[in-house]
This record gives sequence, structure tokens and C-alpha cells, in this order.
Amino acid sequence: MNQIYLPKSASAMIPGQYVTINILTNSNQSNQKTNFKPYFYGLKQIEPIKLEIVQKVFNIISKYTEKEENIIITGSLLDNGFNFNDIDIIVLSNKTNAKMLEQEMLSKIGIKPHIIMLTKEEFVQGLASDPLYQTMISRCISKNRLIFNFKPRINAKLLDLHLLKSKTLIDNFNILNGREKYYLTFNLISITLFLKQGKITKDSVEKTIKKEFNLKSLDEIKENLVDKDFLVKYKNIYNKTFSLIMEKLKHESK
Amino acid sequence: MSQNRNKLIDLFIGNLSNAILHRILEKAIKQEEIAGRYQKEMRNSLEIAKSYREKINPPSNFPSKDILEIKERLIRKVSSELSLRISKGYKNLSLENVEVEVDLALKEMKIA
Repeated sequence: MNQIYLPKSASAMIPGQYVTINILTNSNQSNQKTNFKPYFYGLKQIEPIKLEIVQKVFNIISKYTEKEENIIITGSLLDNGFNFNDIDIIVLSNKTNAKMLEQEMLSKIGIKPHIIMLTKEEFVQGLASDPLYQTMISRCISKNRLIFNFKPRINAKLLDLHLLKSKTLIDNFNILNGREKYYLTFNLISITLFLKQGKITKDSVEKTIKKEFNLKSLDEIKENLVDKDFLVKYKNIYNKTFSLIMEKLKHESK
Repeated sequence: MSQNRNKLIDLFIGNLSNAILHRILEKAIKQEEIAGRYQKEMRNSLEIAKSYREKINPPSNFPSKDILEIKERLIRKVSSELSLRISKGYKNLSLENVEVEVDLALKEMKIA
């Protein structure tokens, strides 16, 4: 252990504090860290350890992908705390082997990735017609700046198909766990809001869930503390949303 | 016991009909519209139906009377959901393939 002397103006370091000294010019790692400037959307803060994971993900994808247009990290990894099971990643590229990337990430990072490969055109189409895509980019970290111009488009058939997933909660309320109930509720409310507003965010969906089901916290669903009253309200919203989609379908077919 | 079995069969039919309907609707939508669709690895209706199937006694050699009843109820349920959509103007949907899809699903569930 050696001592180093710093001018008084280096206020971040107090006398007696232990520090690590690196040679700046030869250190690839420190260069990488200073060059790592991802773009944050809808996020106030993120734990430093998660940021390291994000950097590793970006590095692996860039290494194995030819000319990726962007990499977007979304999902539960970005929520507060460490209750995530996987990393949701959207890779905008024409050429990549998702299976190989998944294996590489699993071995290097140790967390299961869930990779969606899309071209930019497919992604923009998804943003315009699929509420879940909109909620994904409303809270995310991306490698490059996100610039998408899209006009919301109601595709009744697609929304009908998505809504059908949420029917599982009505039929199986007693056997689903909290995480499954939350996902299906999020899906239902995303579709409902999308039909009304066209553009939605993760925050707006979460606020609406709390309001519609009179919840103090979303953890009440995630921890499976909701009761039959929740189910009654859920059925009611499901039926109204289904009727609305059928109405839209009628207009589309004219 | 018998009442419990009937309840399990009801739940099995509910989930399996949902899964069959999902498959039919997916085929009716243009492929590019659902390409790369965001799908989380969640238990879906088909997997839940499978778990009910395992709970229904007897696990193998379903009585043929029961098979026939389950098949008919599935066809009725799926056809009714499809008919509702067709009446609203849903194109590319037909009731012709319902029986084929039901047979396929029952085979997957080892009931056929």
C-alpha cells in the first residue's frame, strides 16, 4: 500500500481514503467506461451494477452483430430492486443469430436474456399498432438515441389476439401466481388505454391499474394479495375492452 | 370425487378452447403483423390445459364417451367465439377447420 498526494481542490477524496490507481492511457477498461454513454428513457436512476450488466450486453451484441442499428434494454431489469428473472433486449438489425447471442450472454453474464430481433421497419410498425411495444420504449436504455416517427394505428385483429391472452386470468384466477396476474392485468390495461389514447407509456398503464382496481401499490397484484373483487372489476374491464375491439373490427371491415 | 372431476374437465375445456382460438386467430392475421411479437415466457392457456389434463382421472385411456363429449364441447365453444367475430366482419376466418384444430389439440393432450 502506497500513499499518493493530491491537491486540496480534489474535494471528492478525503485524506486517508483508499483509492485504486490505474494508468489511464493503457487501460482499455477505463476507456470503455468513459465511452459508455447510453440513452435513458423514463428512468430516474438505475443501480450501478445494472448499468454494468447493460454495458456487457451492449458489448456482446455489438461483437456478434453486423451493423446493429440500435440495442434497447427494457423490462423488469430497469425496475427498482433485484426482482428480475431475465433481461429483455430488442436488437434492431437485419443480421443476427439470436440463439447464439442468448447462449453467449447466459455464459458471460449469467442472466437469461429474452431477445427480440427486428428490423427498424418492423419495430416502427410494432410501435404504431402494438401497445406493448410502446410501453417497452417508454422505460428503457438504448445504445443510440431513439428517434421514431409513428402514427398510432388501431389494428383490431391484433388487439383481439393480444386481449385473448388476458382471458387466462378470468378462467384461472385461483391457480395463477402474482407475477402472472400482474402481466395479464398489464396487458389488459395497455390495450384498453391504447384504444382510448393511441399513445401510452409504462407509467400511464401502471397509474391506470392502480386507479381502476383501487390499489395502494402494484405489489398487491405481484404478491398475489388481490381477491374476488379484483376479479369482478377485471372481468368488467375485459368485457368492455372486448366489445370496443369488436366495434373497431366492424368499422375496419366496412 | 365425480364433481371434482367434472370441474377439472370444465377448466380443461375452457383453457384448451382458448388455446385453439388463439391458434386460429393467429393464422388469420397477416404474418408480418405478428412477426417478432413480444411474447414473455408465461404459462399460457395450452400449458394450463395440460396441467388440468394431468389431474383428470384416469390419466390414460380416457373413456370414449368422455372423449366425444369433450370434443363436441370444444367445437361448440371455439365455433361460437369465431362466429361472433365473423358476424362483426372479421375476414379470413372460417368454421371449416375448427374440427381439425380441435383434433390436433386433443392429440397433443393425449386424448384421441
